[in-house]
Amino acid sequence: MAASPDAAAVQNIREVTEMVASRKLYSAGFITDIEADKVPPGLSEDVIRLISAKKEEPEWLLNFRLKAYRRWLTMTEPEWAHVSYEKVDYQSISYYSQPKSMKDGPKTLDEVDPKLLETYRKLGIPLREQEMLAGVQNVAVDVVFDSVSVGTTFKKKLLEAGVIFCPLSEAVKTHPELVKKYLGSVVPFADNFFAALNTAVFTEGSFVYIPKGTRCPMELSTYFRINERNTGQFERTLIIADEGSHVSYLEGCTAPQRDENQLHAAVVELVALDDAEIKYSTVQNWYPGDEDGRGGIYNFVTKRGDCRGPRSKISWTQVETGSAITWKYPSCILRGDDSVGEFYSVALTNHRQQADTGTKMIHIGKRTKSTIVSKGIAAGRGQQSYRGLVRMLESAEGARNHTQCDSLLIGDQCGAHTFPYTEVRNPSATLEHEATTSKISEDQMFYCRARGIGEEEAVSMIVNGFCKDVFKELPMEFAVEAQKLLAVSLEGAVG
Amino acid sequence: MSALATYSAQFERYANALTAAERAPRSVQFSRFLDSGFPHKDLEDWRYSDLTALNERSFEPDVSASDDALPDLLLDGADTLVYVNGQVHPASTAARWHSDTCALPPPAVGIDALNAAFAAGGLRLRLDRGTRLDRPLQVLFCSRSDGQPTMSHQRHLIELGDDAEATVLLDFSGIGGERLSTHFFDIHLGRNAKLQLYRIQNEAAGGTLVTRIDARLSRDARLDGVTVDLGGGFVRHDLDLSLAESGAEATIAGLYAHARQSHIDNHVRIVHAAPHGTSRMNYRGLVDEKTKAVFNGKVVVQPGAQKTDSEQRIANVLLSRKAEVNAKPDLEIYADDVKCAHGATVGQLDAVALSYLRSRGIDHDTARAMLLRAFALQILDRIEWPALRARVETALHLPAELTLDIDA
Repeated sequence: MAASPDAAAVQNIREVTEMVASRKLYSAGFITDIEADKVPPGLSEDVIRLISAKKEEPEWLLNFRLKAYRRWLTMTEPEWAHVSYEKVDYQSISYYSQPKSMKDGPKTLDEVDPKLLETYRKLGIPLREQEMLAGVQNVAVDVVFDSVSVGTTFKKKLLEAGVIFCPLSEAVKTHPELVKKYLGSVVPFADNFFAALNTAVFTEGSFVYIPKGTRCPMELSTYFRINERNTGQFERTLIIADEGSHVSYLEGCTAPQRDENQLHAAVVELVALDDAEIKYSTVQNWYPGDEDGRGGIYNFVTKRGDCRGPRSKISWTQVETGSAITWKYPSCILRGDDSVGEFYSVALTNHRQQADTGTKMIHIGKRTKSTIVSKGIAAGRGQQSYRGLVRMLESAEGARNHTQCDSLLIGDQCGAHTFPYTEVRNPSATLEHEATTSKISEDQMFYCRARGIGEEEAVSMIVNGFCKDVFKELPMEFAVEAQKLLAVSLEGAVG
Repeated sequence: MSALATYSAQFERYANALTAAERAPRSVQFSRFLDSGFPHKDLEDWRYSDLTALNERSFEPDVSASDDALPDLLLDGADTLVYVNGQVHPASTAARWHSDTCALPPPAVGIDALNAAFAAGGLRLRLDRGTRLDRPLQVLFCSRSDGQPTMSHQRHLIELGDDAEATVLLDFSGIGGERLSTHFFDIHLGRNAKLQLYRIQNEAAGGTLVTRIDARLSRDARLDGVTVDLGGGFVRHDLDLSLAESGAEATIAGLYAHARQSHIDNHVRIVHAAPHGTSRMNYRGLVDEKTKAVFNGKVVVQPGAQKTDSEQRIANVLLSRKAEVNAKPDLEIYADDVKCAHGATVGQLDAVALSYLRSRGIDHDTARAMLLRAFALQILDRIEWPALRARVETALHLPAELTLDIDA
């Protein structure tokens, strides 16, 4: 990187300012009809019809939603994850995101919890967040606090390259044939409890289509934020990489600090056709709850990529530092011969956070390869689980997998767990799994401290070293952000 | 509940022969079994092993077959306690370790409850403080059924006082026919007690064998276990160890090999409940023909069990297109000053090594057998009882010239 950090920061501020400005424009119309859009908490077929009507959806999409809803009613919430939490009351959630009246929201920076602001200041990215909060007194706030795809900003430039990047609800209108063909083709409508719920009520999300032989000219990014009380967020993202194309997509998330728990049940579907490559990176920083475990987001997410064509590749990279409960297994179905799946993860749980996360690699095609690198860090009273499945079917001739999952424990109240499922049905397949659990060694600490490095700084340094294998997979800007995030999230974990 | 009707009829007949006081706890267990039925795939612990097919089966209780001739399975130099279909056989030289009665567990579910409802007594080995069993004890469970499927359920106890030592072989050898046998073992090791435990399973196909060993280790106690599965129909073995006091040590080695159409499910769980515990788990599998192998290892380090040192290794060689391996080495850790590692692999025989041996004029079958044996050797070397080791190697059908080094 040639640019100095200062120059990068200036650039960042400029971009963020532009983004905020563009959002203000978008928001003006939104807020006026919002009052009329209000949907009371509760879930029923009528609510789903209403959501569908608001979005002016075609008949087939409504039927898709209703089919999922009817199946969802017969399903039970999964309990196998190594997490404990108070069950969600699905009838107390409002399913059509509706910004709270301005009267109750923070109007000035003084009203915003200083702890929150401090956090954002430390983070760096969250400059955007601060810009948004700083502009609290104008109408933009509602949009900023709501979850809206920033995609529209670059739409025109992307269209020149033939790339379609827009909110899913827009794609339903402009590219119905693509949406109809691929929506629900990777994550079926009744895949699991939360995916079925999402299919019934999804309201937000991005749609990406990269045409044949195209290398997407810029990184695509979506930034999710839950801001509304008593709502759930049901984002739905669909990315299709046509033959020989390439795309890198970034996702970031935050939510305000609240005493209540909120539900985020997203579904992300990736389709990679012949020779296509999708790189999907997430920095997840939903509000994790306070030191005593009050509040925070329930992050119950289904993410799955389908390597449909030969030689296709899907790579997931995630940095999970937020959420009270994380339940997330980005997966790859390696259908095409010689296709490649990758999963790089850093998950951190501090205070009373709980994470049950990992991946699934389903090897179907010949000579398919998968790599899993998972780094779990547990601090405070955090509980951290890696749960992964590697399945090699009879057809997966010569398939290979390597899994490395390491846990780092900071403090004697936390827990780190590993549940690696391996299922092999082909005698020419090779699978390796290794895992270690350790704590920060006294030697490492002593070495750093003896050189005048403060305790927290030393821990942060060692943790960054521990996570290096994953961070190097992130796009540069995100890697810097992720390191800062870890440092902030670990604050108070030592000493 | 028509599905379990035949079990109800059996239980009624069985319970009628009991006194009221004996009947009450067993009725509780049986009604719990009726509620849960046989374990099914939706239970995480039975994810790969489904016994619901047994819901529809009908098994007669065993009739004594004690006078039948025994197959040649008794090992030289050992005391023997022989059960044929759950009955003590007169060939036993250590019948003093048999007990007709057994203690029942607290109300259970599933197959545990079925066992508790019908459980007969079995092995009861109690050693006082400081005593040592001079000769190893071979406990042979022989099962056979001719025609009508039969079932037997037993509960066993091994209790070693402080500083006591023993070597015990649990030997499951079926001769054939459709059978359902369950065996539950409670093991208590006093302070500094040492138990060398072997478990060999070589049942015939067609049977269902469910065994569980629950062991509790006191301070500085040591359990060395070697478990070998060489066949069987449906075999489910649970090994549950609790290192309850500090300094306890458990070393478990396991091998599953040579099965043809078996379903072999090993669940090994080691709980570190106290500081300074050490555990080693090393399993190896040679999975051939239509065998489905399931391995679930779990190490739990409870809060406060600092300085735990634990290691889990699972290696499998998959030898056939119809075979299947499902391995899951779990870790659950609630303490930070611990050393825990685990690894699992599935692969095939090294083609380079095979071709090296072929190039030295060794024929394919011998070369393959050599490599298979080399793979299994880590576990075989843990069998420190020559007669037993010879029997296992013979059962593995390793070429004679490869096994010459046993006594050397």
